[in-house]
Amino acid sequence: MNGFQSYDRSPTALGTLVRSGAVYVILAVISAGFLLPLAWMLSVSLQDVRGVFAQPFAWIPPQPRWENYSDVATLIPLGRYLLNTVVVTGLVLLGTVLSCSLVAYGFSRIRFRGRTVLFALCLSTMMLPGQVTMIPLYVMFSRLGWVDTLWPLIIPSFFGSPFYIFLLRQFFLTIPREYDEAARLDGAGRFRVYWSIILPLARPALITVALFTFIGTWNDFFTPLIYINSPEHATLTLGLNMLKSQIVGTGMTQWHLLMAAACMVMLPNIVLFTLAQKYLVKGIAMGGLR
Amino acid sequence: MISKRSIAFLLFAPLIVSSCGTKEQSNTGKARISYNCSANAVEIKHLQEELPSFADSTGVEINLQPFTGQEKLYAMIAAEQPPDIFYTNNVLRDRLAAEGRLLDMRSLSAGDPFTGRLWPDVYSQGFSADGGLYSVGNWNFTAGVYYNKDLFNKAGLRYPDTSWTWNDLLAAARRIAAERNASGEPEHYGLYIPSHFVEIFELMNGAPVQQRSLFLNLSEPSLEVYRQYLALMNDRLMPDLRRMQAMGMQASQLLQTGKVAMLVEAVPHQVLFETLTIRWGVAPIPRFGTRPVRCFRSESGGLSISSQTANAQAAWKALKWIIAGASIYQPNPVLRDADFVTGWEARYPRLVGSGFREVWQRSLRHPAGDPRFFVRFSSWTSASILEHLQPLLDKLWARETTIEALVASQPDINRAARTELERLIQRGALREEFIKAIKEQLLQASHEPQR
Repeated sequence: MNGFQSYDRSPTALGTLVRSGAVYVILAVISAGFLLPLAWMLSVSLQDVRGVFAQPFAWIPPQPRWENYSDVATLIPLGRYLLNTVVVTGLVLLGTVLSCSLVAYGFSRIRFRGRTVLFALCLSTMMLPGQVTMIPLYVMFSRLGWVDTLWPLIIPSFFGSPFYIFLLRQFFLTIPREYDEAARLDGAGRFRVYWSIILPLARPALITVALFTFIGTWNDFFTPLIYINSPEHATLTLGLNMLKSQIVGTGMTQWHLLMAAACMVMLPNIVLFTLAQKYLVKGIAMGGLR
Repeated sequence: MISKRSIAFLLFAPLIVSSCGTKEQSNTGKARISYNCSANAVEIKHLQEELPSFADSTGVEINLQPFTGQEKLYAMIAAEQPPDIFYTNNVLRDRLAAEGRLLDMRSLSAGDPFTGRLWPDVYSQGFSADGGLYSVGNWNFTAGVYYNKDLFNKAGLRYPDTSWTWNDLLAAARRIAAERNASGEPEHYGLYIPSHFVEIFELMNGAPVQQRSLFLNLSEPSLEVYRQYLALMNDRLMPDLRRMQAMGMQASQLLQTGKVAMLVEAVPHQVLFETLTIRWGVAPIPRFGTRPVRCFRSESGGLSISSQTANAQAAWKALKWIIAGASIYQPNPVLRDADFVTGWEARYPRLVGSGFREVWQRSLRHPAGDPRFFVRFSSWTSASILEHLQPLLDKLWARETTIEALVASQPDINRAARTELERLIQRGALREEFIKAIKEQLLQASHEPQR
């Protein structure tokens, strides 16, 4: 009897096969549950407004209305909102990666009095809900004359974010100090070590931070809602809300257009997730390192 | 030697900085007024098209600030930069007026022929406890019973009209729900009344509406309606509320699919007008026996002007234009000289002969105000009252508590409301006239029999 036959016929192997089959079926059912809203969104984006309320719901539209996607652009200046979102997301990404890595470097590599207390203080700011700081921040930005500009959405990212500082610090602690020491012997200063040694070695962690920041900023609705007043400074999420809100007394939500716009807005996120999911998963695991 | 990266940076940096924007300043010499319209793409587009000609003809530029939700408004108020014109409901209006944050429009409206164009109830509703005018109603609606004509024909019923009563509605619902399936459920339920429309029936049954009253007093007409509402579910004339919510069914879907033959909803109701493909009509809310007709008309909110506005006259001009000039809101039912019904029939031809005209005209003939003026929605204590009352009402509709238990909880609810009110007065953020008015009300309430 060869090994293959013994594997194929073994009751234990059969049991494993059945068990994994059952696990896959359960996972598939759960995944379908998560994918259902996405499928509904895609389907509605290709129907007219009546399709949303139709019973039974037609999952595959009999006559897909591809023009919904172009109609969105006639209702809201999609290009302008896209530009605003790209500018905000790009600068927030830059600010977050630079500031958080610099602070994390300090906490992980430089020994100074009060370091632990400062780090704990930094982490404790995570406990403050955004709603608590909303009004004082609004008043501050308003006094600076920045309300109704994109600056309040961008500038705070250059002052670090406690979660990403923690994440990067944990990663930096895994990089052997011998690298720093070798560089210092070669005459590198602290900033040179940070820039030329630590940052290149921490690329996976930086990519993770960048990904989380991108997704968070791209999808952020609350911050632009608070600081942006004029339609011309709106971001894509505010644009989506403009398709959802009803006209006082007379209007209804154009669900089909809203879903078409939502499909377009979430496209970069889906592409990014597909390309970089290993970094996202690593990033979540990284929070628990050391 | 400048590197390629530096050149790229020098080229892109000004572009990025300029797209981040600076605050626009008006340099046209025109007065500039900010208006917090709803964040709706269609509304914004229409307004933006018409604003230049308004600015040319009046010298007032309106700067749109589209957002929905009170968080932002509160932040703007805290920063002392609220929009010049914004929407306030009853509670918010009184509170902001008491804090001195709204402009008293009496001096602007006095002698202005515009106020004569408004329905008196819309105009008078904007007056607060100190006698100041702090808002002007900007929209209005009533309610009706939408019905499926084919299901009525099938059951051999005549269509409801202005003469029908609650008993007629019950009889029709019973006839429609008579046909049951194997599990005893009706093939078609008689009707569906969303729980937030129960108040309209309380109003029709004669429940007293005491504006700005401070304490909850569930009157017998209200309790009678609660009993009837529960009976509808117990007798399976109406689908179970909780089940409908769990299934995520929209009210319009219930009517569209024939699940129910009648549906109580707002009139006008654009979603129903645009999505129903069945043959339908709309009838007035039925009266209770011989009780007088009392129609619901919404009056619970309007446009207010910030007390910090730099140009009150310009803000008043803008407010008038928004209500009576901007095409997106026309024909506006708050205007007496606007032919609202004809305008909507032109927009939706299927409204002709649907009963829409009769429902609307009856509401104008027998206006009984807005049940949202019940103490639980419109006074200084409404937030506190609702916080305690709403969970009890939800339990009642789920038949997990009784009407007797609800009535028995009134003293506790009112005690909590009083404590909250006393805390508000002590905080000292309100203007003296308002504190005086609240104290007078409290004194009056203390002389009333204990509830």
